[in-house]
Amino acid sequence: MAKIEFRNVVKRFGAVEVIPDLNLVIEDGEFVALLGPSGCGKSTSLFMLAGIYVPSGGELLFDGHVVNEVETRDRNVGVVFQSYALYPHMSVRDNILFPLRFKKTPRDEALARVTAAADLVRVAELLDRRPSELSGGQQQRVALARALVKEPQLLLLDEPLSNLDASLRLSMRTEIKSLHAQLGVTTVLVTHDQIEATTMADRIICMRAGRIEQVGTPDDLYLRPSSLFVAGFIGSPPINLVAGEAEDGMVTVNGARFPVEGASGSLTVGLRPEHLRIGDTGFAGRIAQIEPMGREILYVVETGMGAVRVLEQGSSAGHSTGEQVKIGFLSENSLVFETERQKLIAGAHVREPV
Amino acid sequence: MTTIADELTIERRGHAGSVARRRTNFVIFLGPAIILTVLFFVVPVVIDVAVSFTDLSRSLRISEFTTEQYEKVFRTDRRLSQVIGLTFIYVFGTLAIFNVTFGLILAVATTAIRNASGSFFRGVWLLPRMSPSVLYILLWLWAVSPTEAGLINQVLMQAFGLDAPLDLLTSAPIALIIISNGFIGASMGMIIFTAAIRSIPEHLYHAAAVDGAGTFAKIRFITLPALRWPISFVTIYQTLSLLVSFEYILLLTKGGPFYDTTVYALYVYRRAFESGQYGYGAALALFLIVIGVVVALLGWRFFDMERLLQRPRIEVH
Amino acid sequence: MAAQAINTASTAAFDRAADWDALAVRARAVRRTKAVVLYAFLIAVSLPIILPYFWLVTIAFSARAGVAETAVLWRSMAVIMPVVVAFWLTVALAQSRRQSWIGIAAVAAIGVFAFALLVGPDLHLGNFIFLWEPDFASVVRSRIGEVKGAVQFPNVWHAFANSILIAGAQTAIVVTVASLAAYYLSRFQFPGRSSMLRSLLVLHAFPVLTLIVPMFLMLYWIGLLDTLFGVILVLVAFELPFAIFIMKGFFDAVPWDIEMSALTDGASRRQAFVSVVLPQVRNGILAIAVFTFIRGWEEYIFVFTFLIRNSNWTMSLYMYWVRDDVMGVDYGVVSAVGVFYLVPSLILYMAAQRYLMQMSIGGVKG
Ligand SMILES: Nc1ncnc2c1ncn2[C@@H]1O[C@H](COP(=O)(O)OP(=O)(O)OP(=O)(O)O)[C@@H](O)[C@H]1O
Ligand SMILES: [Mg+2]
Repeated sequence: MAKIEFRNVVKRFGAVEVIPDLNLVIEDGEFVALLGPSGCGKSTSLFMLAGIYVPSGGELLFDGHVVNEVETRDRNVGVVFQSYALYPHMSVRDNILFPLRFKKTPRDEALARVTAAADLVRVAELLDRRPSELSGGQQQRVALARALVKEPQLLLLDEPLSNLDASLRLSMRTEIKSLHAQLGVTTVLVTHDQIEATTMADRIICMRAGRIEQVGTPDDLYLRPSSLFVAGFIGSPPINLVAGEAEDGMVTVNGARFPVEGASGSLTVGLRPEHLRIGDTGFAGRIAQIEPMGREILYVVETGMGAVRVLEQGSSAGHSTGEQVKIGFLSENSLVFETERQKLIAGAHVREPV
Repeated sequence: MTTIADELTIERRGHAGSVARRRTNFVIFLGPAIILTVLFFVVPVVIDVAVSFTDLSRSLRISEFTTEQYEKVFRTDRRLSQVIGLTFIYVFGTLAIFNVTFGLILAVATTAIRNASGSFFRGVWLLPRMSPSVLYILLWLWAVSPTEAGLINQVLMQAFGLDAPLDLLTSAPIALIIISNGFIGASMGMIIFTAAIRSIPEHLYHAAAVDGAGTFAKIRFITLPALRWPISFVTIYQTLSLLVSFEYILLLTKGGPFYDTTVYALYVYRRAFESGQYGYGAALALFLIVIGVVVALLGWRFFDMERLLQRPRIEVH
Repeated sequence: MAAQAINTASTAAFDRAADWDALAVRARAVRRTKAVVLYAFLIAVSLPIILPYFWLVTIAFSARAGVAETAVLWRSMAVIMPVVVAFWLTVALAQSRRQSWIGIAAVAAIGVFAFALLVGPDLHLGNFIFLWEPDFASVVRSRIGEVKGAVQFPNVWHAFANSILIAGAQTAIVVTVASLAAYYLSRFQFPGRSSMLRSLLVLHAFPVLTLIVPMFLMLYWIGLLDTLFGVILVLVAFELPFAIFIMKGFFDAVPWDIEMSALTDGASRRQAFVSVVLPQVRNGILAIAVFTFIRGWEEYIFVFTFLIRNSNWTMSLYMYWVRDDVMGVDYGVVSAVGVFYLVPSLILYMAAQRYLMQMSIGGVKG
């Protein structure tokens, strides 16, 4: 197993700088998620780990050794590609066997390991089929088996669940997580789906345009997002963000005034929909739209500061469209950001207007 | 006001109109192509069969119908077996060395380096194909010129210390016709294989690298399996085109010295146009025509019949 | 259980963590060797092709008194090879676009200067004498004291015109007939369509060279032997199946909606073809046209067999006879004719390269 470190890693494609300066440590046995919007450089970082891309600058270390130029085949990493990349002309068995060919594993042992890996991801009965005869979920599992069979010191998963339907995605999430628990192999998961990241990973690395925005546990990112970007990216439905000016302990947002502690100047207030409740106190608005979401109900409320999303527990709406309501929240749940630098102001909160 | 009878007339007239239009369209669109094709494909084949049963010769006059030509093919023409043997060597030599193997090597090598450089080398290898045949062979004649001015002789004599100039046209004519045709044939394979290699998803190579494959393992396990169809396509079509083409040989060696480089197709040509034995030439050509049709039929497997035969979606004419 | 099996082996398997550095060194060496070997191989196999073409050009512009002078060839190679390598290095090593432009400009300037200095004095256009002197063969022979050659040459522009006429007429007819037929086959339903398409597939692969003997007899009997018209007809017919096949592919790719909407707007199918569909297949027509033109321009074997009088000569025959007659006498003139014959071909290929590539692999299953 390995401890991984990026030190000032740069990656350019021709003149385009995709990763300007990446610094990151991944501990041995950890399960981390690289989270970020499409095109932010997640796959690029992953491919540098795999040795498919060579960093243009900086150092990439495995267990304290620079491996920048070490060939892919010498790194002993297992990769599940975004499109699975199963070899179309080989049976599932040969696909899984493929990595063992190059390790000169004796035939009997190799076959035993293929069977073991296939059992592990539950594709044992598919061994004689071709990849084209498998469903997306089955392909994904075969790809996982192929990545695991050589006992990699590092497992890299590039959006492995993005091609699956919702229910399959849910069950694969659990399976991958329990596999990690069983095997203990250092795992990096690339995803643009924040739910995937928060449910599976020990730590999340939130990226934006080639830079790391924040590294932390799912809770950290949810409760203390270091920037507006992270706050907006984590959480579903997305956080309500309203910008205003603070003066004399009061922040004014389009006419609404909130008492604010620990901050002044241009501020952006963040309120998560699930932290808002419709009640007797708070700011006023009119319900414009109701979206039932199963066990929760999303109200879109027209207020003086624009549309605000409110998420309430329960399966039937307690209010109706057009109703005038008041929206309240607990002060400790509110987030306050500097508008200019887009950074969180630690310890700052707003309170319900009175 | 229209009566039922009127409507029927209108409909019938409309129907008659559409039939007429259908006919006119057929004649306008397909007529010229059909006439030309029948005139220059079907008629010549018929003529060939007919002439092969005559004694047509230099006088270009038919005096009798006979099966003499076929007797000659199967019995009396002693030279024919040598010609057929040579044809085998030539076709399979060129095919195996250049059209498939070397074409494949070029495609793999030029796709493994940077794109601009790759295109440059492919462009160089396309030069022979892009040159008119007379000119291409002119360059060969210079290169192998038996005097000290020949390019090969210059290189050999100056760089490798050879004493006297070589006369390759008489000492190694078969190798020469194989190489000169191979330089052209290789580019066909190169282009088709390059396109096929380009269409292999890159992530397969990434996956193979991750799984521990080196350069040769990637070629063997990823590239070659993906080239199965293109390779058989090139093999079949180039076999056919090598079998029937003799242009470069005619220009380079004229089939000589003596009959040493006269492959079957060139033998047909020489019999007909050099010796004026048109009847015999026609009989010999018939075998090539049959082979041509058979191979062309084999070629069906390479085309997507369903797409080719797709039904048109507008029904009116 | 299974997880256990996988896990236990893994610690044992991975005990080489210590030699990462050695692996990195090896990887660097492998990478470099691979690049060197590849480039060396490609350069080695490309030289035998580049060299003769290069020789053709240098002789055409530098040979005097008919001798195949290789000194100029080697001297210009000595200039050009380093220049090409320098270009390569500049592009490979340049950090930015600006740097690479500056580098290229510098290399080009040095190259041009060296070329002008070493090769420039030897260059001249005297070998292109055939362009203005129809009886160039006698002039050339008289230089070495011979009186008369065996071949009576026509004016080169006459052969040029014949070639253009054959290629041009062939192109016009093939494009027209093939477009019509391909459109009908692609877009109309009629009895016998599928068998017609199947025979088209056979015809397009059929080796027409096998028909040369009966074709010769046929032309002789209908009195078209040794006429340009006869040759044009034959060449048209032989190009037709391939052209129809390719054009059908292009027509197949035109969306049906366009045509349907033209019909609902009141056009007849013939009008829809001319005004709506044809503009959509411009690329296809261009590809077919260039391809057919090049084939006509290069055609040798059929014109050699079917055309006899020297007033009917095309450029390929002119080239052939120049080679046959003057080669031993004057290399310079032969290569000048070669350059004159080759350049139009190359230009057309370059211009239409993209379409031609598409065509040569069109229709084959992946
Ligand atoms: N081989 C390449 N050549 C040039 N640019 C590239 C290359 N690969 C990636 N890029 C660019 O680098 C950026 C990051 O790409 P990357 O594939 O890492 O994104 P990603 O975060 O994985 O996105 P996605 O979620 O869509 O997979 C993109 O802007 C992309 O256009
Ligand atoms: Mg990606």
